[in-house]
Amino acid sequence: MKEKENPANMKQKSIIESKLKEKIIEKFDNLELVIAYSGSSKALRVNPLFIEKESDIDNIVFNNLCVNNLAAYAYFKSREIKGKIGIVLKPCDAKSIVQLISEQLISRDKILSIVTGCSGVIDYKKIYKFIGGLKVISADIDDTGIRLKTIDKDYNLNLNDFYADKCYSCKIYDNPVYSDEFIENDKKPNLEPVEEYVDIEEFERLGLKEIESYWKSEFSRCIRCYACRNICPLEVCRDRCIAQLESPQWQSQKINAAEGKFFQMIRVFHLAGRCTECGECERVCPANIPLVKLMKKVNKDILKLFGYRPGYSIDEKPPLLTFKNIEENIKEENLVNE
Amino acid sequence: MENNIDAERAKVEKVMNEKVIDENIMNEVSAQKDKVRIVAFLCNWCSYAGADSAGTSRLRQPEDVRIIRVPCSGRINPLIILKAFSLGADGVMVSGCHPNDCHYSEGNFYARRRLEILKEFLPAIGIDSKRFVYQWVSASEGQKWQKVITNFTKRIKNLKVEGI
Repeated sequence: MKEKENPANMKQKSIIESKLKEKIIEKFDNLELVIAYSGSSKALRVNPLFIEKESDIDNIVFNNLCVNNLAAYAYFKSREIKGKIGIVLKPCDAKSIVQLISEQLISRDKILSIVTGCSGVIDYKKIYKFIGGLKVISADIDDTGIRLKTIDKDYNLNLNDFYADKCYSCKIYDNPVYSDEFIENDKKPNLEPVEEYVDIEEFERLGLKEIESYWKSEFSRCIRCYACRNICPLEVCRDRCIAQLESPQWQSQKINAAEGKFFQMIRVFHLAGRCTECGECERVCPANIPLVKLMKKVNKDILKLFGYRPGYSIDEKPPLLTFKNIEENIKEENLVNE
Repeated sequence: MENNIDAERAKVEKVMNEKVIDENIMNEVSAQKDKVRIVAFLCNWCSYAGADSAGTSRLRQPEDVRIIRVPCSGRINPLIILKAFSLGADGVMVSGCHPNDCHYSEGNFYARRRLEILKEFLPAIGIDSKRFVYQWVSASEGQKWQKVITNFTKRIKNLKVEGI
């Protein structure tokens, strides 16, 4: 609850937060459940909040620390609950809902998307990495920077270094592709924008040997906890996941780099043309494996080959569920004349 | 009861030992520079018949290829190819009917999209995209099959000499 006790933080965020609360109170009669953010006992963190009683609306928090993608609950909650569900979403999270609707995994009239304008979210893992541990006592974030109080010393950090990776190339923070209710935010992300997929292009320039050993060392940390799969708003297969099938057995239960890598390959091809790059898999990874890199690589190719961006249109079919007789952008190899 | 458990255990151990031997053989094969292991997935209706007709017309084909018959090139999940690579294949080929000629009318159109994405993706996990290829060979194209598979084997052998 430290987040809430901090008066500066309360004052600064109160505009968007109170607007959000008003909107939820206004719509609450038609909703059986509202999923939003609440403060956490840990500094720099927020928790998901499931509101069933109107009195709980007071506990809602909305600030730069709301990095979680609450669309992760959309599919399973919409199957569990008969009535309508309200979900508080950032514009980037709304893309996950769009994708779920376009694949008819959830029905449009079962979810009320309450989309808030976003002023960028802070990646707490970057801060932990910078200060070397979890020793934060309290944090105060505003336009000018992040002021941290830790057990040994105080920090004054520059905001631009600590936004989540997805924020730097975000173009929809005040202009969501989809919303039932939109709440404008007068604050904007205070960052230097980066072109989309620049990091992937740089990664592709490495040699094959280098890339192979890079992934080998990254995946040697994987314990296959399946957190990346379970947090993903779009991976809704769960009981049918081929990683856990016994017949045919795609994967052994051994813990090693090869098996960890193969599990990600399953995820990559399950999410090909579907991933909205919300970055949740990478955020929850206890081993800090850069998983979004793989997803972004496929998305980049799909944009190039089929001109499709996941999460931008409810009516468009995902590229792997459709085809064209003549594919303009595919250049097939011809082995006959080699 | 205990005997049963022992028997089961013996069975499991036997299977595991066999697997170890298998892996040893695989390692031996991969150590030989001039030998490569190529897996070719051929669709039942066109390419498999094409390879068959190449055989019946006595066209010489490389021996390094293991052919797996699948109902349609649309049956190929990209993971099947990645699994083949992770189990030690040097090259993987998928071959099916020409676009518009699919027995199931549209299987190879879906395959084309999936396999193209896979081909673009392979370098990102450290596999040379030249090691994977997809081609269209019809039932009457025995000669084309011979050229395709000979050229592919040659390419994989060259890559192996360079140290993949």
